[in-house]
Amino acid sequence: MLRNSKTRLILASSVLGVGATALVLMLFYWAAYAIFEAETREVVNAELTGLADDYQSLGILGLARAIERRLENADERDAVYLLTDTYGRTIAGNIEAWPPTVVPGSGWVELELFRTDGSQSVLVSAASISLQNNERLLVGRDSAGRARFERALFQAAGLAVVAAIVLSLVTGWLLSRLVFNRISDISRTAADIVSGDLSGRVPIRGSGDEFDRLSATLNAMFDRIEALIGNLRTTTDSLAHDLRSPLTRLRTQVERLTLENLTEQERHDLVLRMQNEVDHLLKTFTAMTEISRAEAGLGRADFETMDLLSVTKGVGELYEPVASESNVQIQTMGSAQPFQGNAPLLAQALSNLVENALRYAPSGSVIKITLRNADDMVSVCVSDQGPGIPDDDLTRAIERFVTLDDSRSDRGTGLGLALVSAVAQLHHGDLRLTNNDPGLNAEMTLAVKSKVRKF
Amino acid sequence: MTRRILIVEDDADTRGFLTKGLTEAGFVVQAVEDGRDGLYLAIDGGFDLIILDRMLPKLDGLSVLKSLRVAGFATPVLMLTAMSAVDERVRGLREGADDYLVKPFSFDELTARIEALLRRPQDQAEERVLVCKDLEMDLISRKVLRAGRSIDLQPREYQMLEFLMRRKNRVVTRTMLLEGLWDYHFDPQTNVIDVHISKLRRKVDAPTEHPLIRTIRGAGYMLSDEG
Repeated sequence: MLRNSKTRLILASSVLGVGATALVLMLFYWAAYAIFEAETREVVNAELTGLADDYQSLGILGLARAIERRLENADERDAVYLLTDTYGRTIAGNIEAWPPTVVPGSGWVELELFRTDGSQSVLVSAASISLQNNERLLVGRDSAGRARFERALFQAAGLAVVAAIVLSLVTGWLLSRLVFNRISDISRTAADIVSGDLSGRVPIRGSGDEFDRLSATLNAMFDRIEALIGNLRTTTDSLAHDLRSPLTRLRTQVERLTLENLTEQERHDLVLRMQNEVDHLLKTFTAMTEISRAEAGLGRADFETMDLLSVTKGVGELYEPVASESNVQIQTMGSAQPFQGNAPLLAQALSNLVENALRYAPSGSVIKITLRNADDMVSVCVSDQGPGIPDDDLTRAIERFVTLDDSRSDRGTGLGLALVSAVAQLHHGDLRLTNNDPGLNAEMTLAVKSKVRKF
Repeated sequence: MTRRILIVEDDADTRGFLTKGLTEAGFVVQAVEDGRDGLYLAIDGGFDLIILDRMLPKLDGLSVLKSLRVAGFATPVLMLTAMSAVDERVRGLREGADDYLVKPFSFDELTARIEALLRRPQDQAEERVLVCKDLEMDLISRKVLRAGRSIDLQPREYQMLEFLMRRKNRVVTRTMLLEGLWDYHFDPQTNVIDVHISKLRRKVDAPTEHPLIRTIRGAGYMLSDEG
């Protein structure tokens, strides 16, 4: 039971509520008791003074009669009186005898006394004086009045505590229902996600309170997880698919190598082919790693101020001989402001774009590399005059392992554009493909200031 | 002159393959499997070259390298790394490695790198003219002559020929050219380097002349004055 935090919360709030009530009542009791006591003393002292006046004006007999009158008054049942003569004999009063410990005029005393009208001793608070002829007068109040007062107070306190318990249980329950309903909303959603249903989101009540804010943050996190998992799933599926063919080919080749009678030349050729397969596989893995690293933001530590134009020129110059072999020109134009970037990765991304363009550029055409500046972005666009990509496939072409033209003989890894896109994202930018009619524009946009990505 | 190589590599297969191959290639090889032993041996072993794996038990490759360099040892270090990412490779070089290779690598690539590293000190010598048979390169006037015939080279072609001439009779791989001339640390998909070389070859080796730039199958190129 106590392990249930709902119960614990209710209990804690009840205990606190009752404790607070009890404390208030206790303070109240002390205060009230002090007032009660003070009043009792005042009354007793007033009576002592009054009776002493009676003695002055009426003498000892008048005083005795006054005491008797008071004793007959039913309202004063708590009152205690004793008047003794010079020799200590009782003249009037409702106490058996003068208590030996009380010296008259010594002030306020508390003691146990036997009343003449009771069989039990009672606690009495009293004051006493000595009169002219050594007669003595004692006036007090027994504890019955105080007991009544306390009983009434305790009854009220009991009721208050019961009310406090009930009230705090109810508030505790309401409060915990409020909190725990929201928490169990969150917990249910998280459990759904753990069990594999990534589409669940925590309901937002629109009150804008802490729970709404927490839920919104969690939902954003769930969105991101869903996107990442989706991405991972596609990648894994495509990876498995893309690796199966070369691995199958490799397996067949190994089998041929071990089983068939081959001439030395055939054997050599076969081994070379196998080496190519393996190299292709390794390239694929390298590219995968590079994409993952770029996507994870690694490489930002190596950002430095760089000149995109010189990187672009370098890449253009590297590919220029290959291009001119197929009678294609590479032209670089425009310029870019200096910005923070990872030069080696950008060179690699650019070379992927140029290689891609070269693959499709028809003889006699021009590949244009255009640099542009926007406010806080720079962009580099590689345009070819090849067949382009159908509009519907433009976004798909960037995804991993998508090679739109399966008939091509020189196999790419299908990861070239995915890497470019990842590198662009590393620079807080993106890769966009558009049709050039004819041909394809591949434009990489990069942020000039590397800003912190906010979630 | 025997040349001594220290191999620090934890993977037994790779260690065995390297030891066997390099011994056959005429090197005296000692191999250890963790970074701590590697560092001890490197410090008092008198090796000409150290092949150092990036990830090692006890003391990782980068730390071994750092300790060596801090202690003032300038022994050439060739790092092996399974991490292909560009920044990872660049980091190795920054920490004082002389060269690096990404696993898996071909043995030809490795020996080409080792030869390049072992001969490096001679490259520092002030030379004014590089010669390979009847090919001459004047480093001051930047003129290139083949059998007295002047060859007109683009800047990049000139750099490429100088790179080859400085490594005369040694294999230069495509990756070495890409790294050395362009500072690119990735493998282009297409045969860019081959095309650059064949352009250079057309200028340097006229049809009637004895070809100086040879293709070494499976490895790269070599500018040779032999045969």
